[in-house]
Amino acid sequence: MLWWVAQIMVCMSMLELARKSRRTGLSPIVLALPVALFVLLCLSSDTFRSLENLANVNSQITALMIASLGQGIVAISGGIDLSVGSVMSLTSAILVTADPAWGIPLALAMGVCVGLINGFGVTLFRVHPLVMTLATMTFVQGVALLLHPVPGGVVPGYLRTLAVSQVAGMPAAFFWCTAAILLAWFLLTRSPLGPRIYAVGANPVSAGRNGIAVMRLKVACFVLCSLSAVIAGIFLTARVGAGDATMGAPYSLDTVTAMALGGIQLAGGTGSVLGVVAGVITLGLISNGMNLLGVSPFLRAALTGVLLLMAIGLQRREAIGA
Amino acid sequence: MSALVCAAMMISFDKVSKRFGSNFALRDVSFDCEAGSVHAITGENGAGKSTLMNLLAGLFPVDGGEIRLHGKQLSPKSPADARSLGISTIYQELTLLPNLTIAENLFLGREPVRLGRIDRSGMREQARSMMARLGSGMDIDTYCGNLSVADQHLVEIAKGVSADADIFIFDEPTAALNAPEVEKLGELLASLKAQGKLVFYVSHRLDEIFRFCDRVTVLKDGRHVETRETRALTRDGLVSLMVGRVLSKFFPARPARSEAAPVALSVRDLQVQEGGPAVSFDVERGEIVGLAGLEGQGQRDIIRALSGLEPSASGMVIKSGEAGSAPLAFDVTKTVRSGVGFVPEDRKTEGLYLSLSIDRNITLGMLRRLNVWQLVPRRHDVIAELMRRLNIRSAGARQEVGELSGGNQQKVMIGRWLAAGIDVLLLEEPTRGVDVGAKAEIYELLREFTKGGGAVLTLSSELLELLGLCDRILVVRQNEIVAELDGAQATEEEVMRHALVGRADNGVHVDA
Repeated sequence: MLWWVAQIMVCMSMLELARKSRRTGLSPIVLALPVALFVLLCLSSDTFRSLENLANVNSQITALMIASLGQGIVAISGGIDLSVGSVMSLTSAILVTADPAWGIPLALAMGVCVGLINGFGVTLFRVHPLVMTLATMTFVQGVALLLHPVPGGVVPGYLRTLAVSQVAGMPAAFFWCTAAILLAWFLLTRSPLGPRIYAVGANPVSAGRNGIAVMRLKVACFVLCSLSAVIAGIFLTARVGAGDATMGAPYSLDTVTAMALGGIQLAGGTGSVLGVVAGVITLGLISNGMNLLGVSPFLRAALTGVLLLMAIGLQRREAIGA
Repeated sequence: MSALVCAAMMISFDKVSKRFGSNFALRDVSFDCEAGSVHAITGENGAGKSTLMNLLAGLFPVDGGEIRLHGKQLSPKSPADARSLGISTIYQELTLLPNLTIAENLFLGREPVRLGRIDRSGMREQARSMMARLGSGMDIDTYCGNLSVADQHLVEIAKGVSADADIFIFDEPTAALNAPEVEKLGELLASLKAQGKLVFYVSHRLDEIFRFCDRVTVLKDGRHVETRETRALTRDGLVSLMVGRVLSKFFPARPARSEAAPVALSVRDLQVQEGGPAVSFDVERGEIVGLAGLEGQGQRDIIRALSGLEPSASGMVIKSGEAGSAPLAFDVTKTVRSGVGFVPEDRKTEGLYLSLSIDRNITLGMLRRLNVWQLVPRRHDVIAELMRRLNIRSAGARQEVGELSGGNQQKVMIGRWLAAGIDVLLLEEPTRGVDVGAKAEIYELLREFTKGGGAVLTLSSELLELLGLCDRILVVRQNEIVAELDGAQATEEEVMRHALVGRADNGVHVDA
């Protein structure tokens, strides 16, 4: 019962937000989709409604949420990063092969490097972000497999604790999600970087004339994205409890799907944290719901594609900037 | 001059030069400007006004000579650098971001920060008072993409003026403003002046130069002509400083015109936009007609409307040819089908297929009479003949168009329409980016085309080109045709007078 009231309230406040804003890319369909899916699944499956399953959904989507928030920042700045999945995979490989004390710092340093390479490739060498990050995606994936060819290995104990324990009845994943969302929200709406990222995404020339260091900002966005992929990789490895050099592979495109479902336009300048959250929840619910309903994974993929097309078709696409 | 203002030289330009490729945009420009004054920079299209200001704004570096601020060399490396050196620029093209609010735009790049976060309430309060200074009560939480162009200009001005700067550059600030807003701008300029700031005012609007500015610098072809007190100048004196170049000899002779040449294109009440002014004129077979005027006065819109690129245009355009007369639809495909070709200003993005070969680019013109299921004719003979006629210098018909020089690219562009057998040619900037030798060839080509019964309507920001090439010149000012001049007799001064001052002050007849 409480869930219903909460959902309705969330739904109403979301619609209020959608009316106000122009740059958020939030349309009623973006926000209604996860809510509608939730209601539908509640009605059609008893298992779904259980607190246990909801916690399960939460931990299933956490890695995607963290990686998508980074992808969202790059998308708003006018780029796209296909290397997130490979960075997650390499993170996983590093965590189980390196000394436990050095695993996390090494992975973070790797994230910074990949982000810098992507950023400089896109700005300094003017490679299209799609091609640039495709290259790093392939490269990083190769390195990950070289480092850790066979899935397995031991994840440091403290990480396992951080990812799967419960605090006050809430799964740890909930806190990972909340922290990531709050950070991204602060960055995009409260910090001075927020308007600048939107500005660069809408029109880099104008932004430059306003005295913004466009190149530096774009590089920073790519670094942030890679870092969030590293953190997503850490969480995922800890949750699964083993290293796998291909575990991130689906995330490169799943994060982009989440962008599309969340109303974030890859042309840049339009998008919001709320949109990312809505997009990720939609994807998570589709996957979990169909699983519970016993839909075959192949049909699930096909249906996700159809849903994506419908959602994009129903959104009002408005290009921003010159 | 008021006693407050000391005669300290603030900015000195010393033999400043700027080159783009092989063309000098500025050459040895030297003059001084004083603090506490409004300094107008004026000249014809392409005189180098904006280039000079962009050097100060840090958009690109000086190539020769130097700019000095209080005697010390000034070389801003970027717009951000210029801003930190105390130079604030209000650009002609808007630099507002459509997805930010007015307040966010005003403070972009210098947001007030408290404890790591934007001080929103402080920012909004300051934004409101900044807009109020300009007499505008706009809601500062509106996204700039939802504002009218005039309102966006006001925000742009508010943004520039609020900067903590000593030097302000206004690049054509009044293009979109109405009279009361221009009035407010005047007050603003006066208050900046009273604070001892130096204001550069780039404009070719004579009345504003005389009303707002203390001194005026005239540029011509990238060279410095004169810097004078505006009080010591008359309007006519200023116009004559701006014009006065020598016509080169490379234009083909104008053939004698018979009185009753048939009309090729008859334009009646052409409105580019609903509610805008309407223009009417004829283009006869065998003649080249030029649309002259200052940049952005509507010449381009007229040509684009006739070529079918402005679907919102209305009016009656009759195209007459061997196949009879028919009204022209405002639709590109139909326009081309009825025998009207269009050569855009930017041939690289709007006209040619740079990665395709010369023969393919030309063959495209012949396709207009084919249905989709017909085979493309391989007319090597036709193309070879055409390339000979156009004198296209290349490694052969299979060479990629992107590898050709500007002049040869333009010839390919025109060649496509000749191959298509069109009889009316609309050209924007017929020789932009074309070297001098090829220019003469293109003029010759156009003249030949009209001798064969074709008609040409063209526009150019180079007035001398129109004077040398055209049989008739229509002067456009604020989307209206304000004068019709005989190309052989018209002088630069005459055209500029019409373009600057307009209809009310001259007793010119206007073709209707």
